[in-house]
Amino acid sequence: MNALRKVLRGVTHANEWLGRAVLAWLVLAMFVLLFMEVNMRYLFGSPTVWTGELTQMLFGAYAILAGAYIMTQRAHVNVDIFYARFPRRVRAAVDVLTSALFFAFVLVLVTEGYSMAEDSISRWETSRSAWNPPVWPVKLAIPVGAGLLLLQGIVKLIHDILILFNLEGSEPLFPEQAGEDQL
Amino acid sequence: MSVEMITLLFFGSLLFFLFLGVPLAFVLGGVSVVFLYFDWGPDAFYMVASNMWSTMNSFTLIAIPLFIFMAMLLERSGVARDLYHMMHLWWSGVRGGLAIGTVGICAIFAAMCGISGAAVTSMGTIALPNMLERKYDKEMALGAINAGGGWGILIPPSIIMILYALITGVSVGELFAAGIVPGLLLMVLVSLYIGIRCYFQPHLGPALPAEDRGSLKDKFIALRSVILPIFIVVIVLGSILAGVATATEAAAIGVFGALVSSIVYRRFSWEMLRESCVRTLRLTGMIMWILFAAHAFSTAYNSMGAQPMILEFMMSIPGGEWGALAAILIIIFLMAMVLDPLGIMLITLPVFLPIVTGFGFDPVWFGILFIIMMEIGYMTPPFGFNLFYLKGVAPPGVTMGDIYRSVIPYTAVEMFGLFLVILFPGIALWLPNLLMG
Amino acid sequence: DETYTWRVQSHWPSASSSYGDSLETLKEKLYERTDGRLELELHEAGSLFGHDEIFSAVSRGTIDMGTISPAYEMDRLSTAGVAFGLPNGFQETWEAAYFFKHKGFEDMIREEAADYGVAYFTEKVYPTEMVLSEEVESLSDFEGLNIRSSGILQTFLTEAGAAASEIPGEELYQALQTGVVDGAHWGAVQGAMSMSLYEVAPYHVRPPLNIGGIDAYIISQDSLDELPDDIRKTVEDTIEEQFWRRTNEYIYQEQAALARSKEEYGVEVIELPEDVQDAMLEAAETLWDDQAGESERAAEAVEMMRELLADLGHIDEE
Ligand code: NA
Ligand code: NA
Repeated sequence: MNALRKVLRGVTHANEWLGRAVLAWLVLAMFVLLFMEVNMRYLFGSPTVWTGELTQMLFGAYAILAGAYIMTQRAHVNVDIFYARFPRRVRAAVDVLTSALFFAFVLVLVTEGYSMAEDSISRWETSRSAWNPPVWPVKLAIPVGAGLLLLQGIVKLIHDILILFNLEGSEPLFPEQAGEDQL
Repeated sequence: MSVEMITLLFFGSLLFFLFLGVPLAFVLGGVSVVFLYFDWGPDAFYMVASNMWSTMNSFTLIAIPLFIFMAMLLERSGVARDLYHMMHLWWSGVRGGLAIGTVGICAIFAAMCGISGAAVTSMGTIALPNMLERKYDKEMALGAINAGGGWGILIPPSIIMILYALITGVSVGELFAAGIVPGLLLMVLVSLYIGIRCYFQPHLGPALPAEDRGSLKDKFIALRSVILPIFIVVIVLGSILAGVATATEAAAIGVFGALVSSIVYRRFSWEMLRESCVRTLRLTGMIMWILFAAHAFSTAYNSMGAQPMILEFMMSIPGGEWGALAAILIIIFLMAMVLDPLGIMLITLPVFLPIVTGFGFDPVWFGILFIIMMEIGYMTPPFGFNLFYLKGVAPPGVTMGDIYRSVIPYTAVEMFGLFLVILFPGIALWLPNLLMG
Repeated sequence: DETYTWRVQSHWPSASSSYGDSLETLKEKLYERTDGRLELELHEAGSLFGHDEIFSAVSRGTIDMGTISPAYEMDRLSTAGVAFGLPNGFQETWEAAYFFKHKGFEDMIREEAADYGVAYFTEKVYPTEMVLSEEVESLSDFEGLNIRSSGILQTFLTEAGAAASEIPGEELYQALQTGVVDGAHWGAVQGAMSMSLYEVAPYHVRPPLNIGGIDAYIISQDSLDELPDDIRKTVEDTIEEQFWRRTNEYIYQEQAALARSKEEYGVEVIELPEDVQDAMLEAAETLWDDQAGESERAAEAVEMMRELLADLGHIDEE
């Protein structure tokens, strides 16, 4: 049981780390690329063929991979007008039941995203633009991002079940409060 | 199952699960998947992943992280704080002055940005804490941001207008021109509402106490704080108008301005940069996952035959042209609860436009009504994207209930504005006629 | 009798002339000719699938039919670049039609699409033409231009010396208006009109950048095989008939649209200076070789095109 808790906490920590230490910085890269492109075109009259597309690729990966991190922060917004008034165990019970919707959506993204990425990898798909970069890494980000979110959803589900049966340990598997990123 | 029945179940289950506290993104995504399964079969699931891919490839959405990043930098570097301090000093005698100033900044932001999610989130970050700190009423402040933050699609540049033009074949230039006066009208109406309300109920938007108002010298010293924000506005708007950058690229110029400002303020640090990046990720990810799911939802609804249903419904509407227009605006309002703007246009415009032009209405004027109505739909309870975006940035003390209540009077004001544009089409059409003959 | 309903995802917005004149017409004809046994359920651009996902969706059988441009599928179909139309190739639309139908090019791309379970039909052939916001007097003028482009033509224009970048459609109008870019191509005349481009870029460049089978119908082979033989034949024959009807009609519509936009927006048709055209021709030659390098089949297709162009006296016999 303790080993399992350790693994589950590990998932949460890994997703937090991925968001904070890796993904967060990508916005700087997007800024630098676009800013550079404007200067290249306006000041030097020689736009690159790759900045716009590279920025787009980074943005896609950034958005989709962020899903799991945001869940660890409880930052996928909801309507709390009734929810906030439920007692803690009722909330956990409701979350367990409604998690079916979450799993339906995310499982479809994992399997269909995987199928899409597999097809792309099988022919090493490139974008066929003037720059012509490989496309598959960004397509692969869909099943990976959705997969990480799925794992985090499983952690939350187990966390809620433990609350439901009064089995929580001293250290939570999943943050209790919407975090301001503990900044 | 008939599409009417599906519609009822579709929106009914949305309502049910949203009120059970399930995050908007997962409700939209999950309900789409379930309905696609029963209506079309598992074959249709590919559409969900495929739609996600298309949304990831939308270039104009890159403005979201960049404008949010700009706002985070302005907030962390103290630029925003000093700006509000200055406004408070100068407007110290005027009740509600900060909220009116916020609304003005919203309009400027709308002129820099072609989409609305970035504006609500950015203004929520910059303006909300400052107004709350200065004892403004929570609802007064929230409502002002919710209303003003949505103008990005009405005041050009506007991605929605370009899509409207592409679907309907009207001129982009005329639409852009037609959005300006209604946008200013809404700004004036909302400002008037704030001014009048706070005049009679000073506790909603208090003026500074006499002893804190500062001397004329203090006021002029405080004016320094506008230099950097004006610098940012000038380079962003200037780069668009001078043809240096597209509206999306201009967001990167805004980030540049914010970075320069933080260095000038000597507040730049790696820690502050890291914090801004992390918060940007959090807010952008929240918005994008809602958009991913909303896109899937629109597509699912469309694939189930929403368009023929609306057509049939419109056929049965009595009351001639005004009845039809009222029905159209109500449908847009309802759809704007949970569908993305492109989804709404794709489903409804092919039905509405022939009806509207058939009655002899001007399609440019109708486009402006369409956009104002969509904007109102996005800010009204129980659901609307702007409400969720605002909750995403609001400090922990602000609940969805607060946001719901805050919006009601502002909705009434915007409805009044919409009504004026309906009554006097010249408000929208005067400028395009002047410019394009 | 059993009836069939096909889900069709188009890459055309409903306001474009082809959505009505090609797709809706096809729908009506098929309905009438099969006595209502085959009905197409049309979805305009972006409704169910994004434009670059239509081929995948048809190939997977998620939807039965779609319309695309071969430019979206250059990665899967090695002859798609030739199908889309190589720059500085054909000078008249009928020449391209002859290449597709009489010389047998269409069979080549059809064989490639068949590997993905997709039946490929060229919808019509027509040109891609550029609009500019300012006139070009010299090669150095041309080299100072920023042009919005995409795909194979972006490579071509860059190679020819202009600064070609890929600005998304949603930003194109404003980019031209403010001068972020000085030119763009969006289809030809009707395409430019649908995006209001003439309001901000009144110079229309001819001859065209390319002429080719820029639009195509794609049908899931499984959906086609499910049909009884007579309906299936009706589908194939009607599309073939439509190809000729639309190719001809489109030339008329382009010319009429041009006349109208001259009237309304003062559009001027211009030719690029001699030295610019020479630079473009040189760039085109490189691009033809690149396309020939895509596959054996592509090499064969490019060779076939060269032969035809030589027959027509457009290029020297090698
Ligand atoms: Na705007
Ligand atoms: Na709403």
